[in-house]
This record gives sequence, C-alpha cells and structure tokens, in this order.
Amino acid sequence: MSQEEPKITRAAYASKKGEIALREHEYDGIQEYDQLLPNWWLFIFFAFTFFFFAYWIIYYQFGLTRTDVERLEDRLAVINEAKAAALEELLANLDDDVLVTQLATDPEQLAVGHQVYTTHCLACHGADLHARISIGDGQFVNLPGRSLMDGEWEYGDTPMDIFRIINDGSPPGSSGFNGALMEAFGQRLPPTDIAAVTAYILRENAEQFDVPEISGP
Amino acid sequence: MSDAARSANTTTITYEDRTVRHFLAASMFWGIIGLFVGVLAATQLSWWQMNGKFLEWITFGLIQSEGLAFITYGRIRPLHTNAVIFAFVGNMIFACVYYSTQRLCKCRTASTLLSRIHFWGWQAIIAGAAITLPAGLTRGKEYAELIWPLNIAVVLIWVVFGANFFWTLARRNERSLYVSLWFYIATIVTVALLYIVNHLSIPTSLTHSYPIFGGVQDALVQWWYGHNAVAFFLTTPILGIMYYFVPKAAQRPVYSYRLSIIHFWALVFIYIWAGPHHLLNTSLPRWLQLLGMLFSLMLWAPSWAGMLNGLLTLRGAWDRLRTDPVIKFLAVSITFYGMATFEGPLLSIRAVNALSHYTDWTVGHVHSATLGWNGFMIAGVFYWLAPRLWGTKKLWSVNMANMHFWLGLVGILLYVSAMWIAGIMQGLMLSQTNPDGTTLKYEFVETLLAIQFPYIMRSAGGAFYLVGFILCAVNLWMTARSGKAVDATAEVVVLERNKVDTMPARQAFLNDPVTYSVLAVVFMILWMMLPPHADKVALALTVILTVKAVITFKRDSQTWAGYFDRLIENYIPFTVLVFIAVAIGGMVQIIPSFFVNRAENMEERLQELYTPLELAGRDVYIAEGCYNCHSQMIRTLVPDVLRYGPRDDQGYSRIGESLYDFPHQWGSKRTGPDLAREGGALVPDSEVMRTGLRSNVWHFQHFVDPRQTSPGSNMPAYDFLFTKEADIKSLPGKIHVQRRLGVPYPAMTRDEIEQHALDHGMEIAQSLMAAEVFLPAEPDLRGDDLLRTLASSEGVALIAYMQKLGVYEEIDPEFRLDPTPLNPDTQRRAIRSRPPVPEETSAIETGR
Repeated sequence: MSQEEPKITRAAYASKKGEIALREHEYDGIQEYDQLLPNWWLFIFFAFTFFFFAYWIIYYQFGLTRTDVERLEDRLAVINEAKAAALEELLANLDDDVLVTQLATDPEQLAVGHQVYTTHCLACHGADLHARISIGDGQFVNLPGRSLMDGEWEYGDTPMDIFRIINDGSPPGSSGFNGALMEAFGQRLPPTDIAAVTAYILRENAEQFDVPEISGP
Repeated sequence: MSDAARSANTTTITYEDRTVRHFLAASMFWGIIGLFVGVLAATQLSWWQMNGKFLEWITFGLIQSEGLAFITYGRIRPLHTNAVIFAFVGNMIFACVYYSTQRLCKCRTASTLLSRIHFWGWQAIIAGAAITLPAGLTRGKEYAELIWPLNIAVVLIWVVFGANFFWTLARRNERSLYVSLWFYIATIVTVALLYIVNHLSIPTSLTHSYPIFGGVQDALVQWWYGHNAVAFFLTTPILGIMYYFVPKAAQRPVYSYRLSIIHFWALVFIYIWAGPHHLLNTSLPRWLQLLGMLFSLMLWAPSWAGMLNGLLTLRGAWDRLRTDPVIKFLAVSITFYGMATFEGPLLSIRAVNALSHYTDWTVGHVHSATLGWNGFMIAGVFYWLAPRLWGTKKLWSVNMANMHFWLGLVGILLYVSAMWIAGIMQGLMLSQTNPDGTTLKYEFVETLLAIQFPYIMRSAGGAFYLVGFILCAVNLWMTARSGKAVDATAEVVVLERNKVDTMPARQAFLNDPVTYSVLAVVFMILWMMLPPHADKVALALTVILTVKAVITFKRDSQTWAGYFDRLIENYIPFTVLVFIAVAIGGMVQIIPSFFVNRAENMEERLQELYTPLELAGRDVYIAEGCYNCHSQMIRTLVPDVLRYGPRDDQGYSRIGESLYDFPHQWGSKRTGPDLAREGGALVPDSEVMRTGLRSNVWHFQHFVDPRQTSPGSNMPAYDFLFTKEADIKSLPGKIHVQRRLGVPYPAMTRDEIEQHALDHGMEIAQSLMAAEVFLPAEPDLRGDDLLRTLASSEGVALIAYMQKLGVYEEIDPEFRLDPTPLNPDTQRRAIRSRPPVPEETSAIETGR
C-alpha cells in the first residue's frame, strides 16, 4: 500500500474493493492481514454447532432413538434365540451313534475338529491331549486341564456327555480339576464346531469308543 | 512520534537467549532418547524377545534373561510417551516461548534466575521420570504416570515458568498482545488446571499414592486431562509457536487476524468438552459420551482455522519450498495438523469409534499429530533458530536437513499407514462373525498375528524418523560449533508503566460481547441439565440471546472490535477470560459425577471389595503397566459382549463394577484381550480363593511363559514376579487410605490384614504346588521352599487379582435412580418408556 491511498482497516470494506486489509500494528516485524473467513469454513463451523443442538434435542427432548443398552439387548436377544435354535436343530440329529460312526469317521469333520482343538483346547489339554508338555530331560510341565487320553471321563463317558461338557462347561457347583473350570464353549462356538471337536476327541480315543476306521476311497 | 521523543525513550536491550539454547539442546537430547525408546517399544510388539531376551544374544549369554523387568513394554511405553511429550516437545515449547515472548514483548525475560530454575528443575524432573518409570513406580494413569513427589515438582516448576512469563508480560514494551501470546497464556493457565486436578492423590508411601477419584469419575477426569494434554500441551503452545515462526520464516503477514480471534476462542472453549470421546460406548453415562462426540465434531472447524492461518500465511513464499528446509518442515507440519484434526472428529463419531477404539488406528492418529505436527514443527523451528542463536549466517548443512526431511516424512507415512492397516483390519476381524451370525470368527490372538506385517512396517517407520532426528541433532550441533553463542540485542521504545494494562475491570468484563457469551453459555448448560420443560425455557433463552447477540454485533461491530483490541492490551483481564472459557467445560462434566458416582446410586451391579492380597495384586498390575495393553471395559457393543461376556451374568460392564477402582483401569488400547470378566466365584470350601475363566495354574504358566498357553502372544514373560516378594507390609496403610477415599472396608487391624493376605497367598500357592509347578529360571527351587516363595510373591498376588476381576454383587433389579438434575439420562427415562423392538433387528446381522 502506498502512502497516498486512504488506509483500509476493515476487511469487509477492503474485500468489497478487491483488496486485502493489512492491519497497522506490527509485532517484532510480523504483520497481519484481516481477511474475511472463508464461507466453506463458516459452513462447517455452523453446521456442526447446529448438529449439536439438533442431536441433543432429538435424543433428550424427544427421546426418539433407543439407548445403547436397549439396542444391545435387542440384538443379543435375537442372537441368543438363533443360537438356541441352532443347538436344538443339531441335537435333533445327534446322538452317541452319529458322533461315533458318522462324525468321527468323516475326515472333513475331523479336520474342523482338529482346528477347533488347536485354537481353543490346546492351551489346557495339550497338543497330544495328555494335558502336559515336555520340556526335555523327561521333564513335563502340567497343563491346567485334565488328560483326555487316560480313559477317565469325570462328567460321564458317553460321546454325548463329552459333547455336553464342552458345550455347557463344568457343571454348576463343580470344584473343577484342581480349581480349573471348563469354559462353556457353546457360548463362543457354533454347535457344529463343538460336535466336530467332540468327534476329534473320540477319534483320538478310537479304541475306547469303538470308532470305526475311516474307510478312505 | 518525533525523532527527539523517540530517542528520549529508546533503549537497547539484550535478549536472554541462553535459556533458549539450553532448552533447545535439552529438547534434542531427550527427544532422541524418547524416540529410541519408542522404536524399542514398537519392536517389542513384533518380537517378545525385545523385552530383554535379546540382551542374551548381544552379550553372548553374559546376561541370562527371559525378560528384563526394567524394559518390559508395560514400563517403557509410559517412559516413551512421557519423554516425547514432556521432554522432547516440552523443552521445545519452553525454548520457543522464551525466544518469542521476549521479542513480542520487546523486553528481556523478567528473571534470569527463574529461567535457570525452570530449566534445571524441568530436566531434574525428566531425569526422575527416566529412573522411576522403568523401576515400575507409577500412578497408573496415562500421561500422568509420574509419582506424587515428581507431581509436586512439576507444579512448582510450572508455577516458576508461569510467574516468569506473566512477569515478562507485565514489563512489556509493546502495548498489545500478539496472537502467539494468547496461546501461551491459554497453555500456562489450562495445563496448570488440568495437571493439578488429575494428580490429586493421597500418598501411601514416598513412591505410591492413590488418586482421589475412582471408577467412572477417575476415567472422566483422566480423559478430560488426557485429551487436553493433547490440546493444551501439544496443540495450543505449538499454534502459538506457529503464529510467531511461520510469518517470521516466510516473511509474510499472517493470513487473517479475525480468523485468529475466532480460532483462538473457539478452540480454547470447545477443546475442553471433547475429553469423553476417549470413553465412547463404555459405561460412561450417555450424556457425557454425546458431549464428547458432538464437541469433537464442532472442534473440526476451529482446528482447521489454525491450519488455514498457517498454510495461507505461506502464500507468496511457496517458491522457497525448493530451497529452504525450514519452510518445508513448517508446511508439512501444518498439513499434518490439518490431517490429524480431521481424523480426530472422525474417530469421535460413536459408530466409527466402535471399530477404531482400542486398536492401532488411535495410535496412528496420535502419531500423525505428534510425528507430523509436533516433530516437524520442532525441526523447522530449530533449523530456523540455530543460526540465529549461534550467530552463523546459515545452517551447517542444508543437504542434511533435506535428508532429515525426507527420512522423517517417509517414516511418518510408513508409520501412519501401517497403523491404519493394522487398526482397521484388527477392528474388523474382532467383530467378524461366523456364517451363523451368532458367534465370533476369530480368537483374539489370531487378530494379533494378522497384523504382524504392519507392526514391522511401523517399527521401520519409527526407525526412519529416529535416524532423521539424529541427523538433525548432528546438524544443530555442528551449526552451534561453527558459530558462537550470541544474545540478540534490540532497540526498543520504553513504555511508561501507567500507560500499559490500564483497562479497568468493569470495562473488561461488563460489556456486550462478554455478557452475551457468558449468558448464552450458561443457558445452554441449563438446557442440558434442567428437568423437562424447564430445559425448553433455557433453550429458548439460549436462542434468543444468540439472535440478540448477532443483531447487536451487526449494529455495533466497531464497538465489539474495539473492545477486543483494547482487551488484548491488558493481559490480566485477558487471562481471566481465558480461564473462564476453559474451566466451563470441565466443570459441567466433572461436577455432576461427585453427586452421581456413589454406591447408593448404582443400578444393577456393585463391585465387591478387593481382599488385601487382591489389592496388592492390583498394585502389581498397575506397576507393571498392564493397562497399556489390556482394557477392563466391555463396551455396549455386540462383538464386545460376545467376545468377553457372553453369559447372562456377564454382559457389558456396568458403571458400578469399577466404583472402587482407584485409579480406574478401563484402558485405552487392546494389544491383548479385555480382562473385565477374567475373575469368578469362590472355589468350593474356600473363603478367599476364587477361580474364574481360567485356573490359577493357567495364570501361573501364562505369566511365566505367555506363549505356552497362548501360542503367538507377544506379551512379555513375567516369571520374575514369582520370585519377587509382594509388598504385604504396606497393605494396612493402603487400605487405610482407601477407607478415607470412601471404600467401605471393614475395620481390620494391621495384623489381620497381613495375615489375611498371607493366608490367601498360601492357598493359591498350594493350588499351584498341587499341579507340580516349578520355575524354569530357578530349577533348584522345589518343595516347601518353592511353596513359601510363591505364597508371598507378587505373581501370586497378581493371580489373586485376576481371579477377582469383574466380581460384583447384584442390586435389586427393580431399582432405578429417580430423575435428577445434573443427570440427563435419568431425566430422559422419565419422558420415555421402552419402545418396541424395531423390525431391522429381527434379522441377524451376519459378519461383514
């Protein structure tokens, strides 16, 4: 700006004239323009301020949306119903015989069962189902679970008993194995996975449960 | 002013730049240490051996260790965050504040002695932190880990800093305060407020204390502080620095003064309210969650105003991007500020947060701001300052600075994109269901294994960034060596004292702009808090006042502008108004919790008290920094409930379940799974010992070697906990303090407490011995010796705590709080009964 022109100090006036106002004051050599705020910026600012009021009114004044807990409980109810239905459907066609002769001889089921075992059971019952791991020199570390290879079945020794203990966990009031309680895996796994892992355990104990050899093609 | 008059009042002053040089050097020194610790912590997430086993390899077996307690992730992650925030950025802030304040006030810093005390005091605190944090001495609250004696030191030194700063303002030879100084004022006032409130504690020993807030209230206060540590330690001072150094370096006027005004007030007022966005979908009351989300969204525009004012100031200087590394660093720094302040509001949307929270996305977000905005601002400003502070014409090596720029930029991009990939992928995997739509597809550890590659990429990015700053340190060192320290001088016009800061209080506080703003905000708050109908009146008054204010402003815009121009010529009223603006948000959010967060107000569930040994175990949990990787909060989200609380008696976390947790341990990141439902019922025939999701033996083996029970886990081995004696002796004192804090412990004698803890420990140890456990590192420790060692160990105390997590007593299921003011959620229940289930939920939502 040259000295002759009148000083423009207000941004609105300056922008009308197509110029940019430069404030008179100088701080350690720093000067400041005084430009109008960009419209898109103002839009964002006002839009979210409006959104705050609108959201609060909708939620607290009119009570129009459900609360988190209502939403959650509604969905969990649906899920639990579906879970129960799936279990019922499976149980309708599942008995000791089906587990032993059909599932425990089906390589596909056994593969699924092995996978489930590795992910969920191995930590307590060991890779070889003996509930211990070797650390060399004939020494073993005992794992928290029971051995699944000693032929003893604390909570019933039919194939369906095994299915149930996996599905429902340790019976209520049980003191567990040295304090260790079995988790109810029916809570976190589909019933078909539980049937598959039962089949896998039966296959590993083929002799005790008279599991037929797999008749491969 | 005539030349004669000028010469009569002018004098030559010498700026006190020695302190600036000190802080600059300290920033670089601690910065490199802090960044190095960050890289080490990052590698620990990929390779558990980095927690100490690697020492075996690099010393060729001289040091035998599965894990060195001092460098386990849980202890050095706080060291990293504290070092980079308070030492790296902190020292840089002080350097720049001392440099620019003197020049903007046209006077020397008021007291050189206070500057020295400030400098050495701050370094002593950092050194104290560097010793205590790896030693496991911590308060267990993020970015507020330092123990109480250090807290007091921080407050004292901050007061020294503030006194020196305001004293300098009082002696200034510049009538009006430049925008940088506004931001410095906001920083000093607000950090003091935040720090003091969040560190209120009752000591139990010289190194241990319990915060006076517990449970949800502690969570609220912690994230009010945590979020605003970001706002008022990593943002506002840096904005002030930007407003000084960017126009200086670019030699261009600031883009817009009025944008500065709007930006400043909007930022300091709104920022404070946004803290609860760290607690979305948790058991924090819904109204606070909404405030956190909605104010975060409102914060987007004011944040971007800062970016605009920075970037648009560079207009006309863009050509220098090619030649001047300073401009390069500043431009990229401001760009990252814009990116991070867009991402922040995005992550604050409750639906987005459901996916992103507890994952690495948040970590990436923080690092794009700290590495990009803070780190590059540090580099740009230091490269500009060094030649001036050491009287050289230019930097020692411009090429090396360019090298630093590219290394740093590539490092940030690698880091941030790795965290996007890791965070989003893990978030999606954790909520993915099986085809049946009712069970989850992946185990937690599977999601951890899936993000191993991004984790390595992150470490690489961090290493690039570290190398960049090592180059920076070399460059600055050589620049300093090639010149010699000079304190700049300036010719200034001395103002007469009775002509500065003359505004009377009446004029400052009783006028249209202040009255309208304060009244509108007060009615807005009443609108949120008052019972039905009264709230609508308050809302109407808010709207009327706002409209009236706009009309008055249109009419009297000259007067309003004139008032503000006068206000910034008076630092005391300005500071008072800033304090009011920042105090409001915190008061509205925190004060109601004093009335609501009490046992008699809890619905559904109330936490059971910890036994003495469980309390000792909890303090081990905190000391080892377990909260850095494990949350204790099942959110009101289907995947959270399915994964961590599928049984009817489990479910999502209720507010009463952590009522007696001093401090709360809700966590902020899940590198491991949530632990809120880990505990369980008493073992039959036992009065104290519990067994939960997993048995004592499982926990023992998991702590000794996490990979044995959870293949693929990256958790450090904690075998050392089983040979370290638990601090039973201090329990009576700790329980005494807990009683003072309102935890209803029955009266117990010192001996009763200790005996109770010892018996409890013995019972757990016996259950371990029954499974024939042994310690691999102490193969000779067997039989009764082992039993006694275990019984009194920290590890067994920690197991006791694990087995107690999530244990609650049920409250009358019919009990619901009456609608009360200060508790909008109860008032909402009054106007609305439970609606019918809408159609959409009848279909199962299957995996994505």
